[in-house]
Amino acid sequence: MTFDEGQGYVVLATLLAPLVAMTILLFVPGDRKDVVRYVSGFFGAVMLALSIYIFVAFQFGDGASSIQMQLRWDWIENTAFLGEDGIQLYLGVDGISAAMALLTGIVAFAGTLAASKLDYRTKDFFILYWALVGGVYGTFFALDLFFFFFFYELAVMPLYLLIGVWGSTRKEYGAMKLTLMLVAGSVLIWVGIFATVHEAGLGTFNMPALWAAGQDGTLDPTFQKTFFPFFVIGCGVLAALWPFHTWSPDGHMSAPTAVSMVHAGVLMKLGAFGIIRLGIQMLPEGAEFWMPGLMVLGTIGAVYGAVAALTQRDFKLISGYSSVSHMGYVLMGLATMNSIGITGAVMQMFSHGVMTALVFLMIGALYDQAHTRDLKDFGGLGKVMPMWVVFYTIAGLANVGLPGLSGFTAEFHIFVGTFKTYPLFGGLAVFAAALAAAYMLRMFSIVFFGPFNPRWSDLKDLTPLERMSGALLIGSIVIMGVWWAPFVDRIGFSVEQLPRMVS
Amino acid sequence: MGAEQAYLLAAVPAGMFLVLALFGRYMPRGGDFLGVLAIGTSFVLFFFVLVDFLDFYNFEEHHVAITKTIEWARIGPPGGGWDLRFGTYVDPMTIVMFGVITSVALMVNIFSIGYMKNEPRYWWFFAVLQLFAASMLMLVMADNLLLLLISWELVGVCSFLLIGFYWEKRSATEAAKKAFITTRTGDVGLMIGIILLYREAGTFNIQEIIHMAEAGEIGGTSLFVTMAFLFLGAMGKSAQVPFHVWLPDAMEGPTPVSALIHAATMVVAGVYLTARMLPVYAEADGMLLIITLVGLTTALVTGFIAITQTDIKKVLAYSTVGQLGFMFVALGTGHPTAAMFHLMTHAFFKALLFLGSGSVIHATHHHQEMDDLGGLWKKMPITGTTFLIGCVALSGLAPLAGFWSKDEIFAETLDKWGWTVIPLGIAAIFTAFYSTRLFIRTFMGQPRNKHVYEHTHESNALMTGPLLFLAALALVSGFFVFDGVAEAIGFPGGIGAFVFSHEPHHFGLGDIDWPLAAASTGMSIVGIFFGAWLYWGNRLAKSTRIAEAQPGVYQLLKNKFYFDELYQWFIDKAVLGFSFLTSWFDRYVVNDTGVDGSAQLTGYTGSVLKYIQTGRLPNYAMGIALGVLTLALAGLAVRG
Repeated sequence: MTFDEGQGYVVLATLLAPLVAMTILLFVPGDRKDVVRYVSGFFGAVMLALSIYIFVAFQFGDGASSIQMQLRWDWIENTAFLGEDGIQLYLGVDGISAAMALLTGIVAFAGTLAASKLDYRTKDFFILYWALVGGVYGTFFALDLFFFFFFYELAVMPLYLLIGVWGSTRKEYGAMKLTLMLVAGSVLIWVGIFATVHEAGLGTFNMPALWAAGQDGTLDPTFQKTFFPFFVIGCGVLAALWPFHTWSPDGHMSAPTAVSMVHAGVLMKLGAFGIIRLGIQMLPEGAEFWMPGLMVLGTIGAVYGAVAALTQRDFKLISGYSSVSHMGYVLMGLATMNSIGITGAVMQMFSHGVMTALVFLMIGALYDQAHTRDLKDFGGLGKVMPMWVVFYTIAGLANVGLPGLSGFTAEFHIFVGTFKTYPLFGGLAVFAAALAAAYMLRMFSIVFFGPFNPRWSDLKDLTPLERMSGALLIGSIVIMGVWWAPFVDRIGFSVEQLPRMVS
Repeated sequence: MGAEQAYLLAAVPAGMFLVLALFGRYMPRGGDFLGVLAIGTSFVLFFFVLVDFLDFYNFEEHHVAITKTIEWARIGPPGGGWDLRFGTYVDPMTIVMFGVITSVALMVNIFSIGYMKNEPRYWWFFAVLQLFAASMLMLVMADNLLLLLISWELVGVCSFLLIGFYWEKRSATEAAKKAFITTRTGDVGLMIGIILLYREAGTFNIQEIIHMAEAGEIGGTSLFVTMAFLFLGAMGKSAQVPFHVWLPDAMEGPTPVSALIHAATMVVAGVYLTARMLPVYAEADGMLLIITLVGLTTALVTGFIAITQTDIKKVLAYSTVGQLGFMFVALGTGHPTAAMFHLMTHAFFKALLFLGSGSVIHATHHHQEMDDLGGLWKKMPITGTTFLIGCVALSGLAPLAGFWSKDEIFAETLDKWGWTVIPLGIAAIFTAFYSTRLFIRTFMGQPRNKHVYEHTHESNALMTGPLLFLAALALVSGFFVFDGVAEAIGFPGGIGAFVFSHEPHHFGLGDIDWPLAAASTGMSIVGIFFGAWLYWGNRLAKSTRIAEAQPGVYQLLKNKFYFDELYQWFIDKAVLGFSFLTSWFDRYVVNDTGVDGSAQLTGYTGSVLKYIQTGRLPNYAMGIALGVLTLALAGLAVRG
């Protein structure tokens, strides 16, 4: 067994950890909520440790191979239309998925801590939660189209129940809309996958083989141009691509805290990740042809989300629209097709993941006690919940793009990349970042500051577990904001190897 | 340690910020002594840097800056693609800024121990002061625009936190929000400018950009557009018209903060940036004129507004904006010397004035309306005397600091844009006028509010000490302009030659332009005379008559030319209106029509199609028969 293969088992272990946790929980009696929590906490910590290992151990620089920590097990081959290597359980990471795995580890663990105070059907909640996390890991690690799609669906499906059962505020509507829109996107992806496998004629779902086919012309340009939109729209729904974003505000509004955290924190990134994996890497000709269109939609999303967030009155709607805006930046970064822009986009995926998770953690901490999320009901909360205000302020300032916090780092790279080819759109994006300051500060001044409303005098500050969860997220935000070289090294290394990259 | 370790100046307070932010609340006295210790360390380190730098400095041999850089982040091969290096750049301009920032910050920290005593969140105040000092020092030593932008935003957020320090007060929160969003609007320009410069020059390094501009490698219309964007950032931070509205409101913050951030250091960041990039501005045709016009407009507008304000801090705030306008006018000549000199002297006397007003506010238990004050000189001799020194320096009366720097500005602009002297002179007269009014109405004549007057007492030594120190600087810092004085304290060739190595500029007693100096003094005397004539003894009869004779003008000035109302109207109607429209569109068009509509259409189609499934056998049999027939016909048609 080579070293790389050994590391491949680390990747497999990371993928299996949530699925094992899920299986163990199946056999825990439903009334032993403490056991459920301990098991979940333990596996969450294991996942975080493994994810950190994967991120740190990823090699970059001269001589490092582009896909590392590979593991290939044959699944089905040489039958029907499948040839050699037909479908494999093929796992591996590159710099992009290493960063995403780290994000998943951080957010999933933080979400576990936040959900530990959940009291209604705790066991069922965590079973679904781990299924979702397993799906997310699987999508990031999969290098086989079949398993990519399998895990992608595994990540989306539990959301319906998680929101429908544990949610709030029009939860049935939110859950239904979210699931239907995402599934409609999946249909497009599925059609695209079959078309690609058929067109390439290799009889395999192996992604590296198909990427090569996309670059050497086996997939002819007309085909690529025709099917690129399938992937971009299909994945784009999950990445809140305008105008397919409306599930985001409603879905976030309905979802329970931990689900919002994982959903906005990680799941939305699957969409952008899919655009890289299926769009840019597999259909580079199509990408080159359609990217100006994605740039337009991304910019509309960035500005539109920020403008709409200005006058919202519900915390979660503000964050929902701000997610639309920030994911708009991600799409803009991807659409630049140059290495700085796409590196920035991946960094923004990480940055948005941790800061949005923190925002939803804070909203949950308040909503659980206050049972309202209307801004106008609050005022002067700094008096009773100082720690909560500090944490929320840091998250908000990261949203605004304050230097020293992750948002600035990521956005700056995206802006530089965008200005290279699309100065006008870059200008609009910078303007939207200023609007972010307006909607965040508006919320701060209404809720945190000003005269204290005595109605809230018995609100409690953050619990120790919430503090721990928040501190983990803030740590990630600050590290990326101050010292971003570890991220740029790994992400940039892989982005440079994407086809048709302009450096 | 030497100038290569200049980063320590910022690192010490930055580390102290972390200590105080995490543990300050558990410390005795909120850790204020640690704050003073950290800033004091920076102040001492400044002298080490200065000495080391003076050893190294030699203009003739082009030893003009000590730099140190490290690699920060890189994509692709070294030197190619995206290779980001961060570093420090210490040259005379940085040295001047170091001196101003560390000395004023130290004085403000000491003053705050007295002023902020018994305030809630005392420890937090000192923690943020450390963060501010660290960011501001980093700003002036950054060797590249990205690091500068990072520090620039950090000082902005410190300003936000400190303006909103009394966050229970709605007005403080609103002022903090206004300051942050207004400067942030300017920062949109700054960020676009920096990225456009990168696009043109391929680097963020300031010196490389300057070399390219001087060599003519970048230029033309695109450079003009770029520099115009960059200048927007400077205007926002330095509160130039039309971005000036946030600074007077920022007076909601504790007074030491006004002295440090909103008079001496942060607000001059725009002047500093423009001075730093001035060789590039000079290559962008037309930008110098724009800078002059912006500065001139600001100096005039705020000078007019200041004469009708009755809150002593507001008067000082408008005065600060006006003096920043003077600095921009000076920069418009293309030579940074006069602007940087005025920046330095202004930092000392304006910090003095703000701390003096803080001493008054503290002593009178938070009365800062002139209508409640008057005659305080007798009660507060040290504060009164030092305040007088500050006012005279601000008026530009010889031989105090303000005179020398203002005189330099006049001399420089007379060379470059002769016509500006008249509006600039008017602004100078107004400056002298409102300074006089401020002093007389606060410290002279009969007290207007007996109750306040009787409870007033001189502040303690922690507060008067910094006043005396700054007053001394306000008295003497102007003399640095003489080569002899500067050389005596160790600056080779005088401060003009030292600070601006690009343009050696010698100045001695023999070089004084006597007619100009006389004219400049004359303007100050005119302003002071009118101020004294109208308000002598804190009597308002004459000024009230004037206000009543011209009610329109008075209201226009009193309401600050209605800038705030105009902006509020724009935000309410245009920005928020647009936001409502977008939300409505998102709800009703995209969501309810597009998304829900397609779901409803599916449901409707289903409800129509369900009638096909009648459940009656004859209907199905008929369907089968028709189907068979259709297929048969189709088969016939195809097969022929």
